[in-house]
Amino acid sequence: MNRRVLLVGLAVALPLVVLLVASLSRDPTRIDSPLIGRAAPAFRLISLDGGDPLTLQSLRGRAVVVNFWATWCVPCVAEHAALVQAAQSSGTRVAFVGVVYQDQDSEVRAFLRQHGASYPMVMDPDGRAAIAYGVYGVPETFFISADGIIVNKQTGTLTAARLEQLVAELARPAERGPS
Amino acid sequence: MRCHWLALTLLCLGAYPAGALETSLAPSPALDSLAPADIVGAPRGTPLTGADLDTESWRVGSLLRCPVCQGASIVDSPAPTAVDMRGQVRAMLAAGYTERQVLAYFEHSFGAFVRLDPSAHGINLALWLAPAAALAAGGAILLAFLRRSRGSAGVPPRRDLTDASSVASAEPDDPRLKDYLDRVRALTNRDDPARVEKSRKA
Repeated sequence: MNRRVLLVGLAVALPLVVLLVASLSRDPTRIDSPLIGRAAPAFRLISLDGGDPLTLQSLRGRAVVVNFWATWCVPCVAEHAALVQAAQSSGTRVAFVGVVYQDQDSEVRAFLRQHGASYPMVMDPDGRAAIAYGVYGVPETFFISADGIIVNKQTGTLTAARLEQLVAELARPAERGPS
Repeated sequence: MRCHWLALTLLCLGAYPAGALETSLAPSPALDSLAPADIVGAPRGTPLTGADLDTESWRVGSLLRCPVCQGASIVDSPAPTAVDMRGQVRAMLAAGYTERQVLAYFEHSFGAFVRLDPSAHGINLALWLAPAAALAAGGAILLAFLRRSRGSAGVPPRRDLTDASSVASAEPDDPRLKDYLDRVRALTNRDDPARVEKSRKA
């Protein structure tokens, strides 16, 4: 009888323990975007430079990197130089767009004057773009193929090397795939 | 035609951003706005205003998880993200989207995680069924246990205490105690040497 109770107890408890131990190595803040493989939400957002609103549609035919960021976000500041560099070196093959999240345009202008800019910035005053893209926090970077499909999403700071790799993957449609 | 657009836009400007309105009324092939209609279809309910809008916004908002908080709904959080999401819920309800459409819109971009009450579909069904299954299993075990203990209480097991084999399991481990027990047995079974020998062996 005791042996049976022990066996049944183990049969119930062991899978739970294995599940818990396996979950310890998972990052609880990492939630995969359900948008990967789906059409990127189209947007029309106010440009920071005061020009015409920027639409995703106007970039169709080029791969697009959409980076949600803010000046108050330390990881965003850390990856800014890498994004500026990547946008410059990828030329016209890949378009970069910075979507300003929960920030003041005066702050953003001052930041860009100081740190440089090489790609258009748009404002998302009521967060509708962030909601449509399911942004949990900044920085989040979406990689959109030339035919408008979100193929990858990265959360957190991107290093120059990682960004270069991801942009190369994006610009090479045949070998493209989420990593 | 142009006048119609102007009138419509002016009419609804307060209720919902014009960009989304254009798309919800006349879906264009050029998807330039962040219109929920692109995702969940045209509004299927009646546009809400005033106190109804306040109540419904709060109720539907309480079903959505604030993504930057720990287990709080968007109506319980002062986080800017939650404020934006409340605004989106309100705008959608004001434009006539139903609760289902609002929840589906958020689920489309954030995943099922955004719903505080997971929908009872697919793997989520396990969440709904597991407590009932656990209760049934626990009840069955308890019933079996009660039945067995009642059975043993009603009819006590018969044991022949004079048979040494039936008391063998009660043999003490302590050698001194065992010697003492043997002596007691020898005394009590004095008239039956075979039995004494048997108990000594045991």
